[in-house]
Amino acid sequence: MSVGEQASAPPAVELRNISKDFGSNQALDRVDLRIGPGEVVGLVGQNGSGKSTLVKVMSGVHEPEPGGRLFVSGEEVPLPLAPGQASEIGLSFVYQNLALAGGLTVLENLTLGQRITGGARAWSPINWLREHKRAAAVLDRYDVRLDLDQHTGQLAPVDQARLAIVRAAEDLRRYRTRSGHKHSVLVLDEPTVFLPEEDVEHLFDVIRAVVAEGAGVLFISHDLVAVRSITDRVVVLRDGRVVADVAAGGYDEDALVALIVGASARSAASAPAEEARAAAKLAPVISPGPEDATPGGQSVAIEHLVDGRLTGLSFEIGAGEILGMAGLIGSGAEDLPYLLFGARQADRGTLRLGGKALNIGSLSPQRSVRERIALVPADRHVLGLGEQLELWENIVMLVEDEHYRGGVFHRGELVSLAREAIDRFEIRPPQAHAVTATFSGGNQQKALLAKWLIARPRLLLLHEPTQGVDVGARKDIYRFVKSAAALSQMAVLWVTTDFGELAEVCDRVIVLSEGRPVATLTGEGLSDDAITTAALRQIREAR
Amino acid sequence: MSAPHGAAAPPEAGRQEEPPRRAGRSAVRRLGLSRYTIVIVFAAMVIAFGIDIPSTFLSIGNLSNILGSQAVLFILVMAVLLPTIMGDFVDLSLGSSLGLSAMTLAVVNVQHGTNVILACLAGIGAALVVGLVNVVFVVYFDNDPFIVTLGTMTIVQGVIYIISGNNSVGIVSTNLSDWVFNNDFLSIPLEFYYGLAIFLVVWYVLSFTPVGQKALVIGQSREVARLTGVRVNRQRAWAFILGAGIAGIAGIAYAGTNGTVDPPAGSTLILPAFAAVFLGATQIKPGRINALGALIAVYFLATGTAGLQLLGTQSYYQQIFYGVALVAAVTIPKANRDRIFKKKRSA
Repeated sequence: MSVGEQASAPPAVELRNISKDFGSNQALDRVDLRIGPGEVVGLVGQNGSGKSTLVKVMSGVHEPEPGGRLFVSGEEVPLPLAPGQASEIGLSFVYQNLALAGGLTVLENLTLGQRITGGARAWSPINWLREHKRAAAVLDRYDVRLDLDQHTGQLAPVDQARLAIVRAAEDLRRYRTRSGHKHSVLVLDEPTVFLPEEDVEHLFDVIRAVVAEGAGVLFISHDLVAVRSITDRVVVLRDGRVVADVAAGGYDEDALVALIVGASARSAASAPAEEARAAAKLAPVISPGPEDATPGGQSVAIEHLVDGRLTGLSFEIGAGEILGMAGLIGSGAEDLPYLLFGARQADRGTLRLGGKALNIGSLSPQRSVRERIALVPADRHVLGLGEQLELWENIVMLVEDEHYRGGVFHRGELVSLAREAIDRFEIRPPQAHAVTATFSGGNQQKALLAKWLIARPRLLLLHEPTQGVDVGARKDIYRFVKSAAALSQMAVLWVTTDFGELAEVCDRVIVLSEGRPVATLTGEGLSDDAITTAALRQIREAR
Repeated sequence: MSAPHGAAAPPEAGRQEEPPRRAGRSAVRRLGLSRYTIVIVFAAMVIAFGIDIPSTFLSIGNLSNILGSQAVLFILVMAVLLPTIMGDFVDLSLGSSLGLSAMTLAVVNVQHGTNVILACLAGIGAALVVGLVNVVFVVYFDNDPFIVTLGTMTIVQGVIYIISGNNSVGIVSTNLSDWVFNNDFLSIPLEFYYGLAIFLVVWYVLSFTPVGQKALVIGQSREVARLTGVRVNRQRAWAFILGAGIAGIAGIAYAGTNGTVDPPAGSTLILPAFAAVFLGATQIKPGRINALGALIAVYFLATGTAGLQLLGTQSYYQQIFYGVALVAAVTIPKANRDRIFKKKRSA
């Protein structure tokens, strides 16, 4: 559809002047976005550029700052949207996790939404034969062939994605019939990350079918090849601002990368003096115990790690080095901490640690703890801390055995050890006996870090260690990890999709794409933008 | 873009300065008394019954009756405690294990004339087999403990009917009754002291060893325990096996107390045992299943029932008393309830 045609009809959805502040952080700054009927708009930008926040404003999760306006088919809808209101004004969302019930059949997943939102209809009996026919017709309309009675969890990833899109499109179609409006917009948030290249095209066929029915589509992705091939227009966000709104054909991938990365200033490194202070403070808690034979620290080598996307990955981490592993979702980077800890079994690979060669394929958490490998998992609520335990119990969990002597459990020693850690890791409020769940995200994360650091690890594996952590605590965590690494010469692997963070804390960063290292950045060459550029370029070349 | 640094931070940022939730506003909570509510009600109840019916309620005979008559239940409570504390919320088969142990003992002793000590060992052995079967199907095959133990409970009950021929079996050896029930120390039947000994061991292990602390972590979150290097499944397996073994001992105490064993013996005890465990979880360490709380709960319920009986009410009011006490104890301190039942089942 040409630009000229769009101008004549009112856009299906138009956002004007949307801003969103999170404390000191301005996630969105006067963003304008419009999606015409039958138009596919790409939304691209680095991690943290505001894409998610914008989507969350559209879905009613976030309340934008006053002054932001939303027009649907030319009519203003007051912001913020109430939960569930988005679907009443013709917006439908498909997130990366697809929100399908894996244990239910394709048919049940297709009809589920209508049943739940159905009001009085929710009580009317279900005629499964009729539902079956109807669902078959729906799939036909989008030219998707699926067995209606198959369990959704057993479908190939691409078929799950297609089903989710068909379901969302069907919701929109019902909305148009019910309300008599012509407009509707489908928002696709990273729908292609987990799909093999050849399947992406199948997904596009479904999107084209949706567009042919008159819906607009907002397509959010890191995959610039996909963005260029399916979208009519591309909107580029950087630091919460729209920096480009261009016809998709007008720019090649390199030009898009340049727009996405821009020339944003690199954040200043934290003052060395401050780090030295932190190191002095942490020393008594994390310095190697007397039983440590090799005070000099040890380097770590990973050889030929094979699992899923990783096909023979090898790299080294020096003693006291913080190595960053960067990669977009689906690159395989996010699996590394769990595989190297044995939390998930890898196919095979060797981990060399202090003169010992461990088989990664048969690593277990027990073994890893004995070898003093530490894992700080991304999902601290489920994997990291017992939320209903008292704070001290979480902090000393790994060293309890050392305080059970001669049939007596020296609880007092453990509590004072925990109090010391609470003080040194600046956990607020400093209440050892408070229930862990009552602490803020940042303080919980510090406690999790303390739990592992007092066990004096030789290799520290971090996955998204500052996710859901406020800015202050984030800086503290950087400081603690840096000084602990320097102090006890432990090797650190830091995995996150927050590239700015990697640039700030890491000595060296390896960029992964499709499970392969595609760039190594150090020193002057290590910056947020350099990492993003490498990650985006590689995805392009892989296609 | 799963973790944009701007978007992820804010919900937490607001909480940054917020202190941990206050325990509550009422005087009871501020003084930390909610963890002793049952102790307080217990004391009030003893005083009330003592004033009302001093001659019967405050007698040695009554004390002996209360402590002795509940010993079987008390031992079973210790058995129930072990899997429950590790998050395997209900081992329903423990009541049947008790019954199987008692019936095996009776059948081996009476019908085969085996020495009573060997018969006791046979009873405990039979209970251990049930525990092992539970381990295989719950821990090894990773099934829901409620469903599996519902199955094993039913199977074991069937086995009890088969080996007993659906008859009550009397016990020949009076030695057993002597050593369990008839002999006393300080006017209290010996079985009370057996229960006390088992309690002391369980209490020590759960409260004063790293194993007990790990059990607590497993109960709170199996994944956290696993990723901290705890041998989660091994410890769960031991809980099922030792729980079954203790239930077997309870079965012997049951046989010694009653002299005869009825086929449905254990099935009437298992629900009161769970009631005591959960009631105990509101006490001493609120929100945590703990041995001391369970001890208090058992004898609180027993004392209440005994008092009501002395006042002339029918014995079946016991059930109503149990039920009311349990529901009230978990409901009144809401904070405690949340900590017991809102636990994350992440595995």
